Amino acid sequence: MRYNLIHSTLYEYKQSVSSYHSITCLCPRTTPNQVLGEFTLTVTPEPAELTERTDFFGNTVHYFSIQKPHRQLRVIAQSSVESIYLNPELPIVKSATCREAAGAFQMDIGLKSEVLQYLLPSPFVYWDDDIRRYARDCFPADRSLYESVVDFCGKIFREFTFDSKFSTVNTPIKTVLREKKGVCQDFSHLAIAGLRSLGFPARYVSGYLETLPPPGKKKLQGSDASHAWISAYIPGIGWCDFDPTNDVVPRERHLTTAWGRDYGDVPPLKGILFSSGRQKLRVEVDVLPVG
Amino acid sequence: MSLVSTHTTLLQDYRLKVRSYDEVLDRNGALKPHWQLLFAALEKLGIKEVGVRNQEIITKLQENGVTYSVYESSDGLNRPWQLDPIPFLIHQSEWQEIAKGLRQRAELLNLILQDLYGPQTLVKEKVIPPELVYDNTGFLRACHDVKLAGRHQLVKYAVDMARGPDGRMWVLDNRTQAPSGAGYTLENRTVMSKVLPDLAENLFVRRLSPFYLSTQQALARNYGKGKEDLTIVYLTPGPNNETYFEHAYLAAYYGYILAQGDDLLVRGGNVWLKSIEGLRKVDIILRRIDDDFSDPLELRSDSRLGVPGLLHAIRMGKVAVINPPGTGLLENNAFMAFMHNASRHLLGQELILPSVATWWCGQVKEQNFVLDNLEQLIVKKVNRHRDNRSIYGHQLSDAQLDQLKREIRANPTQYVAQEEVSFSTTPAYVDGTIEPRFAALRAYLIGTENGYEVMPGGLTRSSPEAGRFTFSNQYGGISKDTWIVGDEVEHAQEHIVLPTSTQYRKASSLPSRSADNLFWVGRYGERVLATNAFINIVLNALNIHQNYGGQNEHIAWLLRSLTHLTLTYPGFVVDGEAEATLLENPIRELNDLVLNVKRAGSIGSSVERFLRAIKSVRDQWNPEIWRAIDLVEGSLVRIKTLKKEQADHRAIQKDLDRLYGRMFTFYGTVSETMSRDNAYYLLKSGKLIERILSRVSVIRSSFAFRNPEYVENELLEALLNYHHLLGRFRNTYRSQITLSAALDMVLMEANSPYALAYQFDALGRCLDRLPGSQERLNNAQKAVLEATAKIKLANVVELCEYDEESNFRKNLDDLMGEITALTFTASESISNLYFSHVAIQSSFFGGGNPSDKHEV
Repeated sequence: MRYNLIHSTLYEYKQSVSSYHSITCLCPRTTPNQVLGEFTLTVTPEPAELTERTDFFGNTVHYFSIQKPHRQLRVIAQSSVESIYLNPELPIVKSATCREAAGAFQMDIGLKSEVLQYLLPSPFVYWDDDIRRYARDCFPADRSLYESVVDFCGKIFREFTFDSKFSTVNTPIKTVLREKKGVCQDFSHLAIAGLRSLGFPARYVSGYLETLPPPGKKKLQGSDASHAWISAYIPGIGWCDFDPTNDVVPRERHLTTAWGRDYGDVPPLKGILFSSGRQKLRVEVDVLPVG
Repeated sequence: MSLVSTHTTLLQDYRLKVRSYDEVLDRNGALKPHWQLLFAALEKLGIKEVGVRNQEIITKLQENGVTYSVYESSDGLNRPWQLDPIPFLIHQSEWQEIAKGLRQRAELLNLILQDLYGPQTLVKEKVIPPELVYDNTGFLRACHDVKLAGRHQLVKYAVDMARGPDGRMWVLDNRTQAPSGAGYTLENRTVMSKVLPDLAENLFVRRLSPFYLSTQQALARNYGKGKEDLTIVYLTPGPNNETYFEHAYLAAYYGYILAQGDDLLVRGGNVWLKSIEGLRKVDIILRRIDDDFSDPLELRSDSRLGVPGLLHAIRMGKVAVINPPGTGLLENNAFMAFMHNASRHLLGQELILPSVATWWCGQVKEQNFVLDNLEQLIVKKVNRHRDNRSIYGHQLSDAQLDQLKREIRANPTQYVAQEEVSFSTTPAYVDGTIEPRFAALRAYLIGTENGYEVMPGGLTRSSPEAGRFTFSNQYGGISKDTWIVGDEVEHAQEHIVLPTSTQYRKASSLPSRSADNLFWVGRYGERVLATNAFINIVLNALNIHQNYGGQNEHIAWLLRSLTHLTLTYPGFVVDGEAEATLLENPIRELNDLVLNVKRAGSIGSSVERFLRAIKSVRDQWNPEIWRAIDLVEGSLVRIKTLKKEQADHRAIQKDLDRLYGRMFTFYGTVSETMSRDNAYYLLKSGKLIERILSRVSVIRSSFAFRNPEYVENELLEALLNYHHLLGRFRNTYRSQITLSAALDMVLMEANSPYALAYQFDALGRCLDRLPGSQERLNNAQKAVLEATAKIKLANVVELCEYDEESNFRKNLDDLMGEITALTFTASESISNLYFSHVAIQSSFFGGGNPSDKHEV
């Protein structure tokens, strides 16, 4: 499946912004399941500088700066991605049991070194007994870890309400768990916290999900959104993606941009600006299948 | 032999007090010869004289403004730096071995740094556990590709050491981000050689300056890319930092530009300094802000101390930051447990210097050992944090021990434990005697093209209490000069390479923020003087009235003028009954205008702001000026204490007189010792602008309305007094003072420093010397030119005209209004031309704000 992705971000400022530095994490990764074709990043006004680099996690990030006063900033990331799933039936049987997995991460020092940063608390993912208790039932010692994660994500999907008004970037996971509300980012952070609390490595994946218009309706422009889900390390298989927001195992309609320990490692856009006023933000995303 | 017997007294006394292993003794209990020489010198001085010299040290340090701020101390800022008159001695022959060990440690840490931000073989080959990287708050992922050109990532390095029971120096701790103390070390040496030169007799103390010179040269050679005219910035978090003194001190010593984060900006991959000449490209940054504060874009987004985009500029190779951000990784306490393994792996060598036995609780065997022996151990968190203090097992109750054990079991990877070693004591001067105190030494290294170089000396700190092993300046540690002593004069350093031309920059750039502060030093300083002078005039008038009686209408006018001058409304500008009450007893309000530090416009408040502005640019002041500043600071302390007693106004007047004199000492020292450069002219501009405003204010408030002659005469006398022109007036006119004659003088006198014409001429000359004023007049110059012309062309007879009915002197009031407005224009124009106007920095972290997500 081939997609064209358009991620457009518009900032409008009440007061003129004199100087602006930004880092974007908008360029899709090439993975065993997807190949990045073209990628262009268009910034208006024209940035004084725009450079690309690979971050610690292997994501492609861009730095740009604008050094003239402006009231409006538009960042458009366009890319084409080929999504390929060679073996749609995952060899679930290969998955270690929860007991084996927990042991492996402690005993196998090589493996531990590789995944340790996804086992430890990170700036947005930390937990307490409530979170651990919430996750624990889904991970019986003798069940395969893979099935357990599927079960856990299903639990979150069933018990939580999607509510885009409820949380912000800084809403603690504990609050999300108490209120049983949130968005994909919150559910992903909760799922990651649950997994890590039990000693299973998990990371945060940012990307896109192709949405389908209601039957008979034409798809509206800008109607898609950026999305987030998780990836868990399953000994015997490797990193496997799960989507707690939609209770699905990501396939060709999930397109990966970047991964890290949590949202804080891969925000689509972050910046430092010099201004005294407020700002308004508008994001539009299109995930358009080609052919 | 009588000489010997007297020599032994101090020493004998001391030896009786020694309870544990002491610096003066070698391992066989024999006296080390160099300590014997030192004690002989002390003996020769006599302990009384040592006390006198100690007092001199205190005075000198205070005069030089050497301070160390303590967090959360009751008085807020600055505590005086403490220096023991008795130095810490190490013999050259021993030091050579220590230095070798220190260089090895530096090489090792440098390799560890490169490995962990690179291939991580130490982790892959299981030499160190992965927690040391990933569970280490000093490991900054954004810095994995932030590299300094050349062989060193660790350029500046400091090591804390103490002498262990085996008689060798043991490594206690590593400082790898932005080590502090090298400035205090230098100042200690400076003060010691001034106050106690006699102690060093026959000891052949190694000089420190070659090390600082090496530092300077290493930076220029390794990171200057062969450029002639380098711009090197000493990046400080600012005057609120506990070691700000030494930032300013070292910046001035090296000739680097002291700057804060908002003095710098990143553009086109380069770092630029906002200076009053415009943007200046920065080549090298010596950093005194912590790693995670250095770039809010990629590190701590709430940092206001760093430079957004700095990491990008380093990656582009456009600027060298010393040490590069990320080096704090090595300050994690767990590394101490793996240094031997790392050394074997990376260097193929055993460590030369021993370190304190350290167990990381993340390993089962080590954890068990720690839990079983907790009473004998010191427990630390692996990640450093200001709130984390070492826990001494032997000081804990059983319940506390159990609690600690539970915490360690719950989070074993977060703890290390160290053997509680008994370190050596060293002679310290305490309350008139010489006492043994525990001490630790911080040594300094710099990476040069020939490898690491060790400072022949360091910062020794001794414990303030007997029997305790704590030195941190935060907890009252006392510093000592550290002498590496030899048996003969050193030759090795004779062929000192003189600094290359890169060391001599033609014109030093003045950061815009410093310019701003200098201007306000002038404005607040003059505000102190203007208010002081006028209050003095008011108090004198009150005194005379009190003694001789008579009419007091003029006093009411003077008091109202004072309120206008200080903008402390309502003050004396009230009507009816309130006015009558205030006039009945004006002292309370007058006292408040002197003593109430919280009230803007009061003398106390202006002095405080004056000093704050001064301290924000402390690299600008030479020692002579500091002495004057110290005097003014003394006045502020006095003002603050006076507040508590119910001071009578005569006592206040005495203190005001003293403050007045001290401010003039400051002016005089500035004028006699400061170079005539941008800093000087900005300070002077601020002073003149404030002086003009204060004089115009009094003219306007006293004479805009005509008063009966007997009142006006008193006001005229006060006015002339305020302009320092009363004597001259009497000499010139020898007659009754008239308004037209007085105005002629206070406005037009071209040779009297308090006359307006003189001040505008002087202000104009200052502005001509500042940058960007050559080709065309700038707005500040235009405003000053216009004001000068208005003053000089004024017709004093017309100015004295008044409306018969209202008594209003419209011409005078208009002119004073215009002059005020033009002066404000000049002030604002200076500000726009030269000062940085930092827009508020905000970080955001969005574009994927959850509230913008709407998929299901």
